[in-house]
Amino acid sequence: MSAAGKTMVVVPCSGIGKPFGTVSREAAYELCENLRPQDTRLVALAKLVLGDETARDLIAKHPAITIDGCKQMCAAKMVKQSGGTVAHEIAVLDVFRRHKDLKPEGIAELNEAGLKLARVLAEEVSGKLAINEGDNHV
Amino acid sequence: MSEMMEKKVGIVSCSGEELAEGTVARLAALKVLNELRPRDTVTICLPLFLAGGAGDRAFAKLHPTITVDGCFLCCAARATEKYSNKPAASLVVNDLVSEAGLGKPEGRRRLNAAGHEAVKLTADRMAALVDQALGKSKEALGLGQAAQAGSEGEQREATCSCGSGVVVTKMNIAGQNVELIALPLIFRHFRQEQRAAGGPSRKLDQQTADNIFEAVKIYNSVPTELEPAYRETVLEEYARFCEKEKS
Repeated sequence: MSAAGKTMVVVPCSGIGKPFGTVSREAAYELCENLRPQDTRLVALAKLVLGDETARDLIAKHPAITIDGCKQMCAAKMVKQSGGTVAHEIAVLDVFRRHKDLKPEGIAELNEAGLKLARVLAEEVSGKLAINEGDNHV
Repeated sequence: MSEMMEKKVGIVSCSGEELAEGTVARLAALKVLNELRPRDTVTICLPLFLAGGAGDRAFAKLHPTITVDGCFLCCAARATEKYSNKPAASLVVNDLVSEAGLGKPEGRRRLNAAGHEAVKLTADRMAALVDQALGKSKEALGLGQAAQAGSEGEQREATCSCGSGVVVTKMNIAGQNVELIALPLIFRHFRQEQRAAGGPSRKLDQQTADNIFEAVKIYNSVPTELEPAYRETVLEEYARFCEKEKS
């Protein structure tokens, strides 16, 4: 289980115009489907903002991991505005700065470097969750 | 000032990360934007639209928009109507798939074959709606636009970090170089209103001048102390816009 022993919601940016938005989604899928399927739940940003009750309820009850593709940080902003708690605020650009060899290209279909960047990001987040779990067990 | 932007259609796509149909909507929107109608369309980024992007909202207020949603929740259509204007047309992937008798799209991360078929169907339908919104016949489209991608002339677009765009006009006001967004769109809107009210030769009245400047202030930050200078320059630009439309 994650930090508080609860499910964490993952809210990726929904950006359609740049590869970094696609990386954020791909990383969210990697995290929720492969790395942490038991303790994460993907929430679509648009549903949350439009006041979908299920989405808002999830945000209210569980800490969020936001993954944003640009400096506007829409996902993080909207979770906070909706009264949620952002436990981990991730910017794809920050991860890219640490892995400049992984330059994402392609929006509809990411290149191999973009896919790898998404995996690296997802693994970093998963690692943070593991550390928090360790803290809780001390 | 550079040439006025051609009228374009804003494509607002569902971002439904939770469903394969959301992926279909995004990929169909990208196909229209990049391949089928690159010169006639821009994307309006849904999350930034929702999060309060003034440029994106300005665009949707002044241009026709086509929304494409993955499911019955119709987030893109609802958001567009709620925060800006009623869309010119709305598509729902689920409905299109059902009407066409296609298989169910699966795989939000990697679409199955039915999903790719749905992308093509949705993109084709969207492209037809773009033509309709712009009053273009198939003949008028000539050789097709794919080969013309990226040849949009000198107009510069203020791309948000997600890639959507509203036209920016560079001007010198009171000795300062400033950038104002959406001027051609605002001008066109008021020009059409003027025409409807009294024909193209009708002179600009005080009320319309006030309304134009108020609209400019909605979408741009105008320093209070420089309002008279901004107003004068904007209205001069509007006069040039009208002259250019006459000729």
